Parts: sequence; C-alpha cells; structure tokens
Amino acid sequence: MPEKPIPEDDPVVSKSLAPHYLICMVILMATFFWAMWDEDFGQRPWKTFQHEWKNRYSAFLKSAVVQSGDSQKQVQSSADYQKLQQDYDSARQAATPRIKEINEKLHDLSAQILAVQNVFTDRRAYVNALTYIIETETSPSSKKSKQEDLAAYKQKKTTVEMPDGKKQDFDFDHLEETYNDLKNERTQLSAELGELIKPVNEKKQLVDSYLSDHMVSLTPSQLTNLLNGVDAWTPKIRQINVNEHNADLVREDSSNIVDRCESCHMDIREPVKLTAAAMAAKGKRPDEYARAFTSHPEPGLLKIHDPDKFGCTPCHQGNGRATTSVEKAHGNYEHWLWPLFSKGNYESGCQICHSADMVLVSNDVGWTLSEGKDLFRQRGCMGCHRYEGYDKEPEDLLSIGQQIKQIEQEKRDNTKEADDLMKQADKADTNDEANRLNDRAVALRVTNSKLDLRIVQLDRSTKSLLQDLKKVGPNLKDVRLKLNQNWIPVWLKKPTDFRATTKMPNFRLNDDQIKAISAYIWQSGLTDPLPKHKMGDAAHGKELFETRGCLACHSIKEGDEIEGGTFAANLTRVGEKDNYDYLVRWVHNARERTRPYCPYEKKDIGPDDYKKKGLPYVFDLDHSKCPNDGHELQVQNMTVMPSLRLSPSDAEDIASYLITLKKQEPSAYPDASFMNDPKLKDEGKKWIRHFGCAGCHEISGLEDEGRIGTELTTEGSKPIERLDFALFTETAQRGNVEPITDADDLARLPEGPAKLPWYNQKGFFEHKLAEPNIWDKGKIKPETEKLRMPNLHLTKEQVRALTTFLLGSQENPLPPSYLYRPEDYRRDIQEGWWVVKKYNCMGCHQLIPGQRTSLMSMARYKDAQEQLPPKLLTEGARVEPEWLLHFLNNPSLTDKDTNRNGVRSYLQVRMPTFSFSENELGKLVRFFQALSRQPFPYIPQDVPLLTAKETDMARSLFSSTAAPCLKCHATGDPAHDKFATAPNFLQARGRLKPDWMERWIIDPQAISPGTSMPSGLFKRDNGHWVFSGPTPASFQGYDKDQTKLLVDYILQLTPEEQRRVGAAMSHARASNSGASSTGKTAGGAGGSK
Amino acid sequence: MNTKTWMKLCCMLALLGLVLAGCGNKEPAAEQPAAPAASSAPAATPIDPATAASISGTVKLDGAAPKAAMIDMSQDPACKGMNMAENVVAGGGNLSNVFVYVKDGLGSRTFDAPTAVITLDQSGCKYHPHVLGVMTGQTIKIVNSDPTTHNIHPTPKDNREWNESQPPSSAPLEKTFAREEIMLPVKCNQHPWMRMFVNVVKSPFYAVTGPDGKFEIKGLPPGDYTIAFVQEKLGEQDVKVTLAAKDTKTLDATFKP
Repeated sequence: MPEKPIPEDDPVVSKSLAPHYLICMVILMATFFWAMWDEDFGQRPWKTFQHEWKNRYSAFLKSAVVQSGDSQKQVQSSADYQKLQQDYDSARQAATPRIKEINEKLHDLSAQILAVQNVFTDRRAYVNALTYIIETETSPSSKKSKQEDLAAYKQKKTTVEMPDGKKQDFDFDHLEETYNDLKNERTQLSAELGELIKPVNEKKQLVDSYLSDHMVSLTPSQLTNLLNGVDAWTPKIRQINVNEHNADLVREDSSNIVDRCESCHMDIREPVKLTAAAMAAKGKRPDEYARAFTSHPEPGLLKIHDPDKFGCTPCHQGNGRATTSVEKAHGNYEHWLWPLFSKGNYESGCQICHSADMVLVSNDVGWTLSEGKDLFRQRGCMGCHRYEGYDKEPEDLLSIGQQIKQIEQEKRDNTKEADDLMKQADKADTNDEANRLNDRAVALRVTNSKLDLRIVQLDRSTKSLLQDLKKVGPNLKDVRLKLNQNWIPVWLKKPTDFRATTKMPNFRLNDDQIKAISAYIWQSGLTDPLPKHKMGDAAHGKELFETRGCLACHSIKEGDEIEGGTFAANLTRVGEKDNYDYLVRWVHNARERTRPYCPYEKKDIGPDDYKKKGLPYVFDLDHSKCPNDGHELQVQNMTVMPSLRLSPSDAEDIASYLITLKKQEPSAYPDASFMNDPKLKDEGKKWIRHFGCAGCHEISGLEDEGRIGTELTTEGSKPIERLDFALFTETAQRGNVEPITDADDLARLPEGPAKLPWYNQKGFFEHKLAEPNIWDKGKIKPETEKLRMPNLHLTKEQVRALTTFLLGSQENPLPPSYLYRPEDYRRDIQEGWWVVKKYNCMGCHQLIPGQRTSLMSMARYKDAQEQLPPKLLTEGARVEPEWLLHFLNNPSLTDKDTNRNGVRSYLQVRMPTFSFSENELGKLVRFFQALSRQPFPYIPQDVPLLTAKETDMARSLFSSTAAPCLKCHATGDPAHDKFATAPNFLQARGRLKPDWMERWIIDPQAISPGTSMPSGLFKRDNGHWVFSGPTPASFQGYDKDQTKLLVDYILQLTPEEQRRVGAAMSHARASNSGASSTGKTAGGAGGSK
Repeated sequence: MNTKTWMKLCCMLALLGLVLAGCGNKEPAAEQPAAPAASSAPAATPIDPATAASISGTVKLDGAAPKAAMIDMSQDPACKGMNMAENVVAGGGNLSNVFVYVKDGLGSRTFDAPTAVITLDQSGCKYHPHVLGVMTGQTIKIVNSDPTTHNIHPTPKDNREWNESQPPSSAPLEKTFAREEIMLPVKCNQHPWMRMFVNVVKSPFYAVTGPDGKFEIKGLPPGDYTIAFVQEKLGEQDVKVTLAAKDTKTLDATFKP
C-alpha cells in the first residue's frame, strides 16, 4: 500500500491536546476539592461549630475542674465531711481483712469447682442419657438390665485432679455431692461478701452525696466525666425526633418535631451554667460561637418542658430541620413562615400553648407575656378585638340562652311523649304492657323535673354572668349626672392631655366628630334626680382616701410624683370634671346604678315600669327581675370598682376631698352648649358606632353593638402577605427608612427607629401599636375609611409586651395534647387567675413570693409593714373553704356594722366587698384551695377536747411572758386593740385549718415572709415541738407536741376565757401605766399606727 | 492568550484548591489553652500602719432639737426605764447616733470580717446601741436583758429579712448580714417604739458619734475619700477629703432639723 503523504497541518501531529486535558483535569480536581470542602464546611457549618465547641468547652471544663477542686477541698475540710469520711474509712478498714479472706477463698473454690465440674458434667450427661433410654425402654427385661448398667456406671470411680495437684477418686453420687457442696459454699461466701460490702458502700455514698450537696457547682469527678465525653465527641448531627419517642404523636401525626438545633447549640442541656463570656475564646469578646454555646438560661423551664418531648421549635420557632446556615436554621428567610422569636419577644412561645393562662403557672414574677395579657384587658383591646378567653361573658350568656331554649323544647317533647305513652297504656292488651308503658311515662316526667332544675341552674348562671359582665370604661348613660358638660369635648379631643396615664386612647377625632359624639352621649344620657349631699370634711376624706386602700388601684399626682396603682384612673384632676353628688354615690358604692337595664327589652327600666305593675322601685342583686317580663336585669354598674362599705359620711368626706383635686376651675372650660342640639344626635350615633365606643362604654341605644375590630386569637400566624403595610411594604423590606416621624410615637418603638428590614409580624405589630394610623400615611381616603384604631399611648415596654402576646397568638400546629388545658386542680388555678387579675387582687395582696403590690411601694407603709394587707401565699391551706366563701361574699363578716374589716380590724386598709357572683365566688375559693393543693371538698378536722389539766397547761403557755400571744393579737377590748397587729383568736375556729396553725406558730416567716409574728417560738426536741422559752412548770413530763396543745387550746378558746387571760395581763398593765398615762406612742416613724 | 498562560492559570487554580482544602481541614485544630482560674484584679497595696492617717470631728445640729416624744410603755409592764424617744439626741447642739463611714475611695481593697463580735442589747425595752456599725459577715450577738419577750425583726432593703422571737433569759441570737446596707431598720413588733439601725459596711473605717457628737476613724491609708454622715431622720451628707500620709484631719458636719 502506497504511503499517503502526511498532511502538513494534521492536528494529530501538529497539535497537542495536553493543555485541554490539563484544563479538564484541573477543573475536575478543583470541583473535587470544592465538593470535599463543601461537604465538610459549606453544607455543614455545624461541623465548624462542633470543632469550635470542643475546644472551648474542654478549655472551660479544664479550668472548672481546677476551681471545683478548690471548693471541693473546702467542703472536704468541713467537720461534717471529715466525720463521714472517717466513718467510711473505719468501716472499710474494719471490713477489709475479712473481704480479702473471702475473696481468696472464693478464688480457690472457683478453681475447685472448675476441676470437679469438668468431670462431673461428662458423667452426668452419660447418666442422663442412660436414664432416658431406661424411661423409653418397653421390654421389662432389658429395662432391668439397663438399670443394672446404670447402677454399675454410677459405682465406677473416676479420678479428679484438684487444683492443688492432689488426685482423688469419686463414684458418681459422691461426685455430685461434692460438686453441690462446693457450689453452696461459694453462694454463701458471696452473700457474706455482699453483706460486708453493703454498709461500706452506703457510707461511701453518704460521703459522695454530702460532697455534691454542698458543692455549688459540679464536683471535679463529675466535671472530668463531662470532659471525657467532650474529648470523645466526633462531629455529628444531634437531633430531637419527637415522633420517634412518642407513639401518641405519630398517630395524631401533626407534631412532626424534628429539631437539629443542638447540632450547634451543643451546651443547651449541659448540667453546668455556661454564659457567653465563659465560652468566649481566651481574651476575646463573646462572638457568634460563644453565644451559641451557652446553656439554656432557664434550666427550670426545661425540666417542665422536657426537650425530648417538646423539642425546641414549639417554643422558639425557627426551622428546626435546617442545617445549612444560621439564617435558615433560625427561619429568617422568606420561605419560612415561623421565624425564631427574637430576644425581646421570646416569651411569645409560651403563649402558643398557654393561651388559656392569665398568669403563667409559676412562682415567678416579671413576665413580659403576662404584662401583655394584662394590658390586653386593662387597656380595653378586647372591647374591639375578640380574643378567645377574654371577656367571654356575652358569649356565655348567648350559649346559655340557647341551652335553655333546647331544654324547653326537650321538655315539651317529653310531655307529649309521656301523654302518648299513657294513652297507649290505657288501651293496652295486658296489664304487663300497660305497666311497662306507664313506667316509661313516669320516667319521662322525672326527666322533666330534672330538666326544670337544670333550667333553674342556668338561670342562676345567667344572673352570675350578668353580674360578671364588666366594661373597661365608665357607663355613659350617667354623663349628665356625673360630668361637667363643658369638659366632655376637651376630653374627647385628646384624653392624654387631661390625664396622661388614662386608659382612654386618643381617637384622632376632628372637631365635627367631637361635637356630634358628645351631643349624642349627652342627649341619650339619663336625667334621673340624684340625692343631694352636704359637703364633708375634706381633710378627713384625704386621710381615708390614703389609708383605706384606694391607692391600690387609683393613683394621684402627676409625672415623677405619681403615687398608687395603675389599675384604675389617676384622680389628680377629678375635681374639674365630676359632680359632687354623683361622686359621693360612686365612692359609697360604685356599683349603684341609676336605672336597671333589661337586656330582653333592650331598655332602661324606670320607676314607671315598676309603678305599672304596682311594685316598689327597688332593684339590687336580690331584686333583679324585670317588672315587665321577669327577665334578669342588669342591676349594677358594669365596673370592677368594689364597695369599701364606707359610712355615708365617710363617702361624703372622700368625695369632698376628691372634688378639691383640680388644676383649674370647672367653670374655666369653654361653653359646649352645642351638645344640646338635637340635629347632631344622629350624626353622633353614626360616629360612635364607627369608632366602636360601645366596646368599652355602656351607651344608650348601643348596648348590643358587636366588636368592630378583627379577631386576634390567631393574629400571630397570619401570613405576612395578609398584613397590610400599605405604602411602606418596600420600606419595610429594605429597612433603611423609619416611616414614623412623630417624636412621641417613635419613642414607643421597642427597638427604636428601624434600621434593619422589618417586613415581618413583629415589625407590623410594633409599628401598628406605636402609631396605629401609620398605614394611612400618604394614602388618600375618605374619613370613614381611615384606620380606626386609636393611639393607646403605650410605653416602649408595653408595646413590647403586647407584641410578644400577639406574636404568640397562633393557630397551634401542635397536637392538642400539647396545649396547657389541665383537667385537675390546675384548671382551678388557671380559671382563678382570670378573676384575680380582673379585680386587681394583687394591688393589695401578694400571691406570688416576690410579687410587689401597689401598696408595698408607698412611703406610708415603708416603716409600717404590719399595716399592709395580708399575704395570700398559703391562703388555701390556711382557711376553710366554707369560711372563705362567706368572707369573700361579705368581708365584714356581719350584717350590722359593715363599716369595718371582718378579720383584721386593726388594719386601716379595707378589704372591699366586690359583689362577686356565685360563679366567681366558686372560682376564687377553688383557686385558693388548688393553689395550696388542698383536697376539695374540705372535710374539717376534729379538734380533741382538752382536759382541765391540759387547758391549764396551755393557758400558762398562752399567757406566759415568753409567749405573750395576747400582746399583739386583738381581743375585742378597745384599749388593748389600739396596739393590736394580729387577728382575734376567737376567729380561729371555723376559719383556720389546725394543721396550718401548727405550721404557722412553728415558723411564720416561712409562710408569710416579713410578718410581725416571729419565728423561733418553738424548737424541735426529742422528736417533739417544745417551747423555746422557759416552759411553765406544769409541763414537767409532758411528752407531746406543745404546738399541737396550743393550737387545740386556741381553737377551744371562749370569749370568757380570753377575757380572763386578757384581764390578768391588763391588770399588770394598769399597775404600771400610772406614770405615763398621757403619752401617745411615738418611738420610730412607724411607732403607732 | 497563549497556551502557556492557560496552563499557568490552571496550575494556580489547582494549587489554590489544594491550599484551601488543606487550610480548611486544619483550621479547627488549634489547641486552646485552658483559661486561667479567675482573673483576679490587681492586688491593692497593703495598708502601711506607718503612713496611716485618721480623721475625727464633731457632728452638730443646727437649730433647736425637736422635742423627743414620750413613749407610752405601759403596754408591757415589764418595760421600765426612760420613756423618751431617742431618734434625734442632741446635747448642746451635738448630734449623737450619726453613722460616719468611708463611702468611696478605698478602691479595690477588700477587708476580712473581724472575728470580734458586736453586741446588741435589749434592756428597758430599748436597743443599746441605737445605731450600730458592723462589717459584712461580722457576727452580731443579740442579747435580751429584759424580763419580757422581744422579737428582732430587721426590715432590710438588700439583705434577707427575718424575724425571730427571743424570750427572756434565752440564749443570745447570733446573726450576720452579707451585703452592704446603711441604716437598716430593726424593730420589735411587740413594742412598736423599739427601733434601731444597723449599718453594714465593707470596710472597717466607720464610726458612730457619741453623745458629745464626736467620732474618729483611724488607720486610713493616704488617698482621696468620700466620707458619708448618715442620720436616720435627717438623711445623708457626703464630704470629700484628701488624706496625706499620717494626716490627722478634722471633719465636722452639721445637720439641719
């Protein structure tokens, strides 16, 4: 074949592909390395976290071991520890020789057993086999010969070589016996060893537990264990998979909690407290890693909410499965609907499951979320916005109405059926048949009588609910009786200008709206005559106002000088707006209504209606039926303000004082007679309806108005697209411009003016609460379409609290079993808190240790704490429920002289009468019993009757100089009670539970910290409580609890006995007091009160 | 661009990749040395007794002393003695029971609580002394010399509250306070006129003025100090003073009623 000439420019010859291959190779390599890198770090940032964690945590632990070693030495040097250690050492030493001996024996035995066993098991197997053959052998002759074989085999001797080299011959039976003996001996020795070691180990445990009990942190050995765990750690995903652990949830199949948060937050559940500073790299400020490696700041919460069951995201939100970046894991990206709650609002997570709780179940105070829940009610948010659980009386009333209708229908059906059955029975063929039908008819009539009783119950509930129904604002039907007419338009213009702390929000009304609204309110107001009162003693009124407890809810003075509670109105300028006569009525009994209201007829019932029926014009809780149709009337003002049971003249005095509180004369307000113009009335009604005034106020003609705002129960889970940022959507997404410009409103933003993007629920709520009409800015809208939400003039902290509350208001993605809806005693607690908060019980009483009441911070009580209302930390354990019910119903405990406290007559501050409904009384009594975990119903304890000798002994203790009970406790003798700082013992029976009394006299400071009653009156001696002071001689040989004796004596105390003992003491006093009878007590500032 | 440049570029890329991978792996391996046990503040110079200075002075009341109110002690027959309140006691314009202490200027110096026990006596249904200074952690021994029962009830702001009964001729109570607190009121609930004040301070440099209004604080190292004069009713006055070595300065204060 001729050779073809090679072409000049053959690429195979002239061009090399090497560079291309090289490029490809390099790209491939680069991709490979990139993939490797991405595998390890890019896609798995948590690996870096875990490497970093290993270094920092082990460094921390190493230094902690050193520190802990020091404190361990300290504990070890204590005498108690030394003694325990000595006990242990001596026990161990005493036991050691025998233990050693036994161990040696056991060792020998084991060797012997092994030697015997080898031979024995072989032979036993052979014997067993032979026995089996004999058993299954059918012919008697061969059976016999086999038996002989077996006997011969058993007789045959074998040699066993013992561990010590000795050889011994055994036949089978002997061998078996030896083997069993050896084993028995081993068992016995082992048991003895166990018995010997047990006390030594127990002593060792005592030493160890003393150490760990007395160390503030972990012991060095515990820390070293942790350190070993850290050193052995290889990076891996750490996840909580709830489905895996909890089969129930898989079935319900909506929880699906898979949280990998702990892959970076490695220390959340570590048993040591780790702060960001402790986890910072050496000598550096805490960085991203240090903040991630802290332990959970509230380990107590984790104890209640076991992370293995709850995971992390149900409380914190965020995307628990994401592991590729911090932003994704925290859910801070556009495709995740539930971003991590930010630092200021992290309590939102509690609301998700605890929405039914008014106060989160805990012994803790200062929860942002609790403040949000309070504000939602206090500021009247619920007047416009429905929220599950708030203000539910109207709904309950409706549902009861329906129930009654249903029951009545059922009754009619039953009657009809019964009639039918009886007719059939009359015509029945047989007597049996007739009797059967008649029985059924009778049963139906019994059912009907049960239904009747049920209706009676429901009627009572209706009455209760009408009584429970409260409004945030005052009753505007009374404006003509109560108010200075000219003041109304000024108030409506901007309520905060008149009273900076008012609950009434600013509605941004224009002048025409103000005119129309005030005109409607004025013209629709009642004009019934008010009784006239003479002016009282304002100075006495001031004293009463300051001492009776008004300031637990109300405040006076302005600005920095403000004093009193925030629950009710500031009264600094009340003299400018109120009529004196109305004020007297209000102070005397705020619940007193001008006219009763009939919800059925929808009108205020006047004297004429009563007259027509020939009834006296009397309406109160005992006379609450409508004269026209018998329906339940609203007979009280819908205010939570209670009656202080003041005498009419005291009420006049207080009103006289209040009316002097003003900055300008009422006459200085410009004339507002336009309010009488009837043409404005309809316009006014329109605007009142538009702004939803009837949500908070009772207004004539608008009693049945619904709420005008959107429901907020699940507002927090609204997708962001459904929150209308109006013209500021882009601004919020970019986050560089703050749309709010008003300085006051800017100051309400918890995080200050926006710098970062705030296009999220938090940003929306905060801006809306700071300046509710912000989304109208720049929009062109007619007056009726503008945003109606008024400015609530909240502080920064209040906006934060409400935002926290709203963010947590979510449609719960968790299974219902996660919601905190207990069915046991905890439900009573849950329900009780709503009532406690509704009436501001905590303005006067401490219910949670550490909680401050409004009164506590007042200068008046600084040196006179014994004048503060009692703490209710153990109320349920203290008093009998029956008594409590009676007391709450009428705290004066009497019908005659009600102008006093029933129990603590020595207190100037007054427990008011709240006119609780049956419903709320029940809730409160159950609440206190449940809070102290008391059984319900309560079965009173029997108090043993004391013998004459025991009575004498108890009396000598009761009146001894060392336990002068009657020195502080009231006796009913006015001369003595001047100095009393504790209740009368005669009230103990029927009120106090004996068990509680005994605990109280042993250590009152543990029950009510700071109480006047001192601790240390009794001490533990020989297993009994005995008096710490010199014991009266009669106690010689008495070997029971002296506390118990004293309690029994107090429970049997009669007025005569008390007078006798008191007289003996006051006799001594009289003989001494001659010298200084004129003296009024002085001493320190709080000397005599 | 010619082939050579391409090759160089690729090689560089490959190298970069290698380096990156290498670095990445090594990164977390750096060993962290154990952090020191506790970074203690630089030790303060010990006080040299040779250079120690002292201050002394008299506290006066400018104006008429309010008339001491009478106390009606008839409530308890066991209480005998002077029926006179003692909140502002001024003889000849001198004010006693003023607590004087170094409020500021000792820097980071810390002082151990002395082992000496301070006694608070209850006799004649009054406290002796009426104003008492004590160091944090120092033991106060409370004695009841009266034939009646007292209870001792401090109502502190920053310490723990307690209230214990002390029958006549019972063993003394021994108590300490852990935190600094000035004019911590102590009272007896059974005898409402009984009140006294404990002053808990962190340094041993304090004094209580006697009936002559005089006080003296010794052993202070040279330095700039704020000296506070505190009276239970009339409030606090702060005075700044500079002490050189071995100074003996006179520092008077005057309260207005």
